[in-house]
Amino acid sequence: MSSNTASSSAATAGSGDSSAARKNSKRPKYSKFTQQELPACKPILTPGWVISTFLIVSVIFIPLGVISLFASQDVVEIVDRYDNDCIPAPARTNKVAYIQGGGDKACNRTLRVTKRMKQPIYVYYQLENFYQNHRRYVKSRSDSQLRSPKYENQISACKPEDDVGGQPIVPCGLVAWSLFNDTYTLSRNNTRLAVNKKGIAWKSDKEHKFGNRVFPKNFQKGNLTGGASLDPDIPLSEQEDLIVWMRTAALPTFRKLYGKIETDLEMGDTIHVTLQNNYNTYSFSGKKKLVLSTTSWLGGKNDFLGIAYLTVGGICFFLALAFTIMYLVKPRRLGDPSYLSWNRNPGGR
Amino acid sequence: MVRSGYLSVDSSTSHRRTPSRTVTLGHIQPQAPTYRTVYCNDRDSNMPVRFKGNSISTTKYNVFTFLPKGLFEQFRRIANIYFLGISCLSMTPISPVSPITNVAPLSMVLLVSLIKEAFEDWKRFQNDMSINNSTVEILQEQQWVPIPWRKLQVGDIVKIKQDAFFPADILFLSSTNPDGICYVETANLDGETNLKIRKALERTWDYLAPEKASEFKGEIQCEQPNNSLYTFTGNLIVQKQTLPLSPDQLLLRGCSLRNTEYIVGAVVFTGHETKVMMNAMNAPSKRSTLEKKLDKLIITIFCVLVTMCLIGAIGCSIVTDREDYYLGLLQKPDWEYRNRFMIGFFTFFTLVTLFSSIIPISLYVSIEMIKFIQSTQFINRDLNMYHAETNTPASARTSNLNEELGQVEYIFSDKTGTLTRNLMEFFKCSIGGISYGCGVTEIERGIAQRNGLKVQEEERSTGAIREKGFNFDDPRLMRGAWRNEPNPDLCKELFRCLAICHTVLPEGDESPEKIIYQAASPDEAALVTAAKNFGFFFYRRTPTMVYVRESHVEKMGKIQDVAYEILNVLEFNSTRKRQSVVCRFPDGRLVLYCKGADNVIFERLADGMDDVRKVTREHLENYGSSGLRTLCLAYKDLNPATYDSWNEKFIQAKSALRDREKKLDEVAEIIEKDLILIGSTAIEDKLQEGVPNCIETLSRAGIKIWVLTGDKMETAINIAYACNLINNDMKQFIISSETDAIRNAEERGDQVEIARVIKEEVKSQLKKSLEEAQHSLHTVAGPKLALVIDGKCLTYALDPSLRVTLLSLSLNCTSVVCCRVSPLQKAQVASLVRKGAKKITLSIGDGANDVSMIQAAHVGIGISGMEGMQAVMASDFAIAQFRFLTDLLLVHGRWSYLRICKVVMYFFYKNLTFTLTQFWFTFRTGFSGQRFYDDWFQSLYNVVFTALPVIVLGLFEKDVSASLSKRYPELYREGIRNSFFKWRVVAVWASSAVYQSLVCYLFVTSSSFGAVNSSGKIFGLWDVSTMVFTCLVIAVNMRILLMSNSITRWHYITVGGSIAAWLVFAFIYCGITTPRDRNENVYFVIFVLMSTFYFYFTLLLVPIVSLLGDFIFQGVERWFFPYDYQIVQEIHRHESDASKADHLEIENELTPQEARSYAISQLPRELSKHTGFAFDSPGYESFFASQLGVYAPQKAWDVARRASMRSRPKQLPKKK
Repeated sequence: MSSNTASSSAATAGSGDSSAARKNSKRPKYSKFTQQELPACKPILTPGWVISTFLIVSVIFIPLGVISLFASQDVVEIVDRYDNDCIPAPARTNKVAYIQGGGDKACNRTLRVTKRMKQPIYVYYQLENFYQNHRRYVKSRSDSQLRSPKYENQISACKPEDDVGGQPIVPCGLVAWSLFNDTYTLSRNNTRLAVNKKGIAWKSDKEHKFGNRVFPKNFQKGNLTGGASLDPDIPLSEQEDLIVWMRTAALPTFRKLYGKIETDLEMGDTIHVTLQNNYNTYSFSGKKKLVLSTTSWLGGKNDFLGIAYLTVGGICFFLALAFTIMYLVKPRRLGDPSYLSWNRNPGGR
Repeated sequence: MVRSGYLSVDSSTSHRRTPSRTVTLGHIQPQAPTYRTVYCNDRDSNMPVRFKGNSISTTKYNVFTFLPKGLFEQFRRIANIYFLGISCLSMTPISPVSPITNVAPLSMVLLVSLIKEAFEDWKRFQNDMSINNSTVEILQEQQWVPIPWRKLQVGDIVKIKQDAFFPADILFLSSTNPDGICYVETANLDGETNLKIRKALERTWDYLAPEKASEFKGEIQCEQPNNSLYTFTGNLIVQKQTLPLSPDQLLLRGCSLRNTEYIVGAVVFTGHETKVMMNAMNAPSKRSTLEKKLDKLIITIFCVLVTMCLIGAIGCSIVTDREDYYLGLLQKPDWEYRNRFMIGFFTFFTLVTLFSSIIPISLYVSIEMIKFIQSTQFINRDLNMYHAETNTPASARTSNLNEELGQVEYIFSDKTGTLTRNLMEFFKCSIGGISYGCGVTEIERGIAQRNGLKVQEEERSTGAIREKGFNFDDPRLMRGAWRNEPNPDLCKELFRCLAICHTVLPEGDESPEKIIYQAASPDEAALVTAAKNFGFFFYRRTPTMVYVRESHVEKMGKIQDVAYEILNVLEFNSTRKRQSVVCRFPDGRLVLYCKGADNVIFERLADGMDDVRKVTREHLENYGSSGLRTLCLAYKDLNPATYDSWNEKFIQAKSALRDREKKLDEVAEIIEKDLILIGSTAIEDKLQEGVPNCIETLSRAGIKIWVLTGDKMETAINIAYACNLINNDMKQFIISSETDAIRNAEERGDQVEIARVIKEEVKSQLKKSLEEAQHSLHTVAGPKLALVIDGKCLTYALDPSLRVTLLSLSLNCTSVVCCRVSPLQKAQVASLVRKGAKKITLSIGDGANDVSMIQAAHVGIGISGMEGMQAVMASDFAIAQFRFLTDLLLVHGRWSYLRICKVVMYFFYKNLTFTLTQFWFTFRTGFSGQRFYDDWFQSLYNVVFTALPVIVLGLFEKDVSASLSKRYPELYREGIRNSFFKWRVVAVWASSAVYQSLVCYLFVTSSSFGAVNSSGKIFGLWDVSTMVFTCLVIAVNMRILLMSNSITRWHYITVGGSIAAWLVFAFIYCGITTPRDRNENVYFVIFVLMSTFYFYFTLLLVPIVSLLGDFIFQGVERWFFPYDYQIVQEIHRHESDASKADHLEIENELTPQEARSYAISQLPRELSKHTGFAFDSPGYESFFASQLGVYAPQKAWDVARRASMRSRPKQLPKKK
C-alpha cells in the first residue's frame, strides 16, 4: 500500500498529491494545551514584589493586631488556683487520701476585683495536667447513646465504664464518669451572687447531640466513683454541666464554663467563694483554678492573637525595611547575565 | 541431495508411525520435542496432536481473574503493601483511627488503577474479538468456505486474496502469479514497506483451484513454534518426496499479500504459536533514575516515621501512669497497659497507624498520571518535533522516562541515518587504479572552510545526470566514454557487477526514467542506479534471471538486452560483510561477482595485484576522509567443472536443517577466493538537517556526545568534524589498530600473538593519553579533548583490566568517536558509562544495529520515519530527526524533570506537614496516640483536598519558556547536576514542613485556650483540630501558587477548588448524622467555628504566617543565590512567548528543495545494511502504528493486534 502511494507521489511529486498527503497528515493539531502555551501569569519575586508584599502584610496585620489586642485588654480576668490551698494543712502530706476520704471538703476563697467587670461575667474552672485528650479517654463515650434512648445499648466504645451488672450506664464511658464535681458559691459583701448555669453549652450540642428523652441510668453506680453524679430525672440535654464536660478539651490544660454571673462587679469588690473541693486532681498532680472573666467580641482574654498579629506585622515591616536598605546598598541588577553560572566560571564543567 | 532426501523420508516415516500407533492405544503421545508434523488438508490426522487454535487472546485478565490478578498486580507495589498493612493495623483495637482513614485512600488509589487496567484490557479484548472474527476462506469439500479466523486449524488449506492479511503462519503452496511467487508486505513486522518475494516450491505450484487443491495431501515436518522471524526449517513430504522448506515458503501472520490475486497455502502455526505472537513480549521496562532516588526518599521518610513512633512509644511508656484514674486503668486489668514495655510496644503500632499518612499514598498514581499526560499530550503532540517531510511526529513510547530526559549527560549517537541522512548518492568510483568522479562532498567543503580555503564550485558539465541516488559526474565515464579509458574491460566488469550483484527489485515501468528500485539498503539502490546511468540498465528480475539493457558494450551507441542467469546468490550478512552472485552469461561464461567491505575483499584477492591494490587502498582512504562510504568490487571467472562440484556442496548446505547459515557461509568461503579486484565505489552520505547546530546546542547544555559508528575511522572523524564534534583546537587522542606494530603482528598471523600485541599497544596508548589528558586538565586553559578509538582496540580497552583507564580517559574528553564498532560494543560502551561512571546516558540510533545500544542506555531514542523500525521499537522515545533532540531534551526533558521534582517535593512536604501537626499534638496527649483530626478529614486530605493542584503543577509548571530553554541550553545543566532533587532541597522542604506544621499547630492551640466568643464558650478538641485542618488545607494549597513559576487559570481553579471542596465537605459532613455508631465528634463543628470572629482572625493569620517563612526563603534565595533559570526569567521578564504558533506555520512551509526531499523521503526504503555494518537484530517489533495514526504500540499485544488488523478500507468493496 505504502509503496504504491509512494511511487505515485514520486511520480506526480506535487500539487494533487499534497492535498492527499495533508489529509493523511499526522501533524498534531495545534492547541495551547498540547503546545504548553496556556496563558499564564509568571510571578517573579523581584525585590519590588518582596518589599511590597511585606509592606502589605504589615499594613494589614498591625491594625488587626491592635484591634485584637484592644479587645483582649478589655477583658478582665481573675484566676485563683485553689487545689493546694483547699487541702487543710495537716492533710497535705497525703492529698489523695484526703480527697478520696469522706467528709465536708468546703473551702473558702477570697477574690479581689481589680477592675470593673461588666456582666455577664463567666465563671470557669481550669484543670491542668488532665489529659482529656487521651486516646483512651476520648473514645470512651457513645454519641448515639447520648442522642437517643433507642441506642441505649450502644456501649461498646465505653469500656471500662460501659455497664453495671449487665445494665448499660447512661451516659456511659470514662468521659461522663469523670464529670467534674467541684461546686462554687459566690458572694459579694455577703450577698450571694447568682451563678446562672443555663446557656453554658454550645447550642448545637444541646439541641443535636444530647437527647431530651435520654435520662441518666445506672450512673456512678460502679465500684469506683469518678466524679459528679447526675439527676436521673433531668434529661441529658438539660444537664449542661455534663454537656460542657463532654466536649473534650484539646489540650491537657483547659477551661470549662461553669456558669455566668449576670451582675456587674465593681473595682475593689471582694468576692467570697465557698467551694466544695471534691474533684480528685491530686492523683495525677493536676491543678485546679477558678476563673472569673468577662468577654469581648473576640472572646476571652487572648493576647496571643493580638501579639501574633503585631509581631508578624512588625517583622514584615522590618523585613521590608531591611530589604529596601539592602536593595539600596547592594543592589543586584535584575537579570544580570554575569550571575549565570556559566558566565561566572567560564568553561567550568 | 537425493541421499539426504531419502534419509529424511526415513526419519519422517518413523515419526509418522509413532503417533498413529500410540493413538490407537488410546494414548496421545506428545510431539517429538524438536519437530512438529502437520498433515495438510487432513483435520482428523492432526487431531491427536492438539495444536493450538487460531484464536488469540492478548488480554491480561478475564472476568474471574480480573479481581485477584489485578489486585495482585497492584500489591506488587511496595507502597500499596504498606498501606494494606496499615489498613489491617487500623482494624485492631490499638488503632487510634477508624479503618476508613487508611482504607479509603487505599481503595481510591486501587480503584483508579483497576479501572485503568480494566479499561485497557477491555479494549484489548475488543480488538482480539474483531481479529478472531475476521474471515478467511478454507478448503472444505472442494470448495472455498469462509470461516472466522479463530476456527482455523493447523493443516487447513487456505486461500488468501490480494491485500488480505495472513491469518496464521502459512506454508506457501501456489499462487496465481506465474513462477509460483507472491509478494508480501511485512510492514507490520519490521516496518519495511518494500515488497518481499516469497516463492512456492515448484512441486506445489499446481494446487491452485479448489478441486486440485483438495487433492493435496502433504506432510509438513518443521521446527517447533519459535520466535525467530527470519528462519524456518522444515521439509515438505509430498508423494514420498522430501522437499526442503525455507523461510521463502513461509507467509507470516501479520503480513499481507500484495500484487497477487490470491494464493493457496497450508496452515503451519496458529494463534499464539505464530512467529509474530511468539515475538510479542514486553521489552524490559526502564525506571528513571529520579524514581530510584524517590525510593530512597521514601525509605528516609519511613525511617522518620519509625523514629517518630519510637519517640512516641518511649514517651508513652514513661508518661502513662496508673494514677491517671480517669483513663480507667484501675477498673479492669487491660492487656494493652499491663506494663511499661507493653505500653510502649502497642503504642508504637498505634502511632504507626496514626502517622501512616506521612507516606504519600497517592504519589505514585499522581506521578503516573502526570507523566502519562506529559508524554501523550505534550511530547507526542509537540509541533516543534513534527517532521513534515516524513509526516512523523515525535512519539513517547514509554511514559516512565520523561524526567530522565532532563538529566542526560552522555549521548551515544549512531552516525548513519542519525547524524547523516542515509540518503545515499553514488559519488565517486575507482576502477583499476584510476579514480573517477569530480564532485566535492559537503564534508570536504566543511573541512576546506575550516582551513580557510575557498572552495571553487566546479561547473557541472551540462547535462550531468542528477537523480535520487546518483550524484556523479565525470565525462570520462559517462555516455560510453569509458570505452576510451585505459581499462575498458574493468569498467565493463564494474558496471556489470553493479547491475547484477545485488538483491534489488525493480518496480514499475521498465524504462530508465520510471523504474523504481526496491532495495535492501539505499546504498544498493544507489549502486544499481549508478549502473543504469552508466548504461547498464537493470530492468527485470525473475527468480533465476537478471535482465540488463546494456549500451555501448560492443560498440558505441548499441543497446542490447542481455539476460544473465543467476545461479547462486551468496547473501550479505554481518559476518561475511560481502555479497556475491554467480551468474551465467548468455554465452555460457560463468562469473562470480562480489562486492563488500574493503578488508574482506582484499583478503580474498588473487595474488599479483599489489599495485592496483595499493592504489585502490589509497583511493579508499581518500574517499573515506571525504566522508564517503566505500565498497570494493571484485569478480572471478569460474571454471564450469569447479563450479559444478561447488554447487553440489552449496545445495547440500542450503537444504541442511541445522546450522544452515553457518554451512552456507562455509561453502561460500570456498568459492569466494582468488578474486580479481575491479575497483571501488564511493557513496556520499549526507548530514541530517540541523545536526551541527543541534550538537553545538547540546554541548553547551553540558551534554557530551559520543559517536559510535560502524564506519571507517576516517569517515567517522570527518563526520565528527562536520558535526562540530571535533575541531582543530581540540587535543585528539587517536587509538587505532592501524599502527605498524599491530600490522606487523597481523602479517605474522598468529592469533594469540596479535591479541597480545594489540592489547599491549592499546594499554600503552591509553595510559599515555590519560596522562596527557590529566596534565592538560590541570593547566588552566587547556584545550578540550577528543578521543577516537576503533572497534578492534575497543575490544581490548573494554577488557576489565583496562576498562577503568578507558573510562577515566573518555570522561575527560568532550567528545568521543568510536568507529568500526559492532552493535555489541556499542552497548558495552553505553553500559560502561552508565554503570561505570553512574552518569545518565542516552542512545540514539535508527537501525537494527543500534538496538542493543538503545536498550543499554538509560534512555533509548529511535529515529523514526526513515528506515526500518527495529530501533524505534526498542526505543523509549522516537523522533524523526536528530535535531529534535534539542526540543526533546532541553524543553520536554528539562520541564519534566523540573515538574516531577517539584511534584515529589510537594508531596513530601504536604504529607510531612500534615503528619507533623499530628506528631506535635501527640506530645500533648500523653503520647497516647489520640488522633487530632477526624477520620474522614485525614483520609480525604491526600486524595481530595490536596490532590489536584499538584497535578496541575506537574503539567503546567514552566520556569522559562520553550524558546528560552533552547536559547540558554546551559540551563539544562541544572538537571545534570540534579539541582532540584538533592538532599539539600529535601532538607529545605522538610524544614518548611516543620515550620508550617508548628505554626499551624501552635498558633491555633495557644490562641484557642480561653473563651472564643462573646458568650464565653470554649472550644473542644474537634473544634481546635478542624481549625488547624482548615488552616493547613489553605496553607498547603496556597503553597502551590508560591512555588509555581507559571500560574495558569488551572492553578487558580484547582487551588480554589480544593479549598472550596474542603469547606463544602465540612459543611455537609458536619451537618449530617447517621444512625450508626459513628463518632460524631465533628458534628456541627464547622458551624460552631464559623460563628466566631476568632475563626476568621485565625484564618487570616495562620496561613499567611506559615507561608511567610517560605516566602522569605524564596526571596532571599532569589536575591542572593539565584538559580540560573531565575536570572533568565529576569532577563526576559518583559517578553511574552506568544506568536510562537506563527513561527511554526512558517517553518512548515516547504521550500521547493524541501518538497523534493519530501517526495524522496516518501519513497519506499528498507533497512539499511550500510557497508557491512548493519546487523539483523533478533529483537523486532513493527512500526505500522504510524500508518494507523496510532503511535507507540507500547505493548506487545498491540503489535500482534495491529499486525493482524491493518486493512485497506478501499479494497473492501472489491472483495464483496
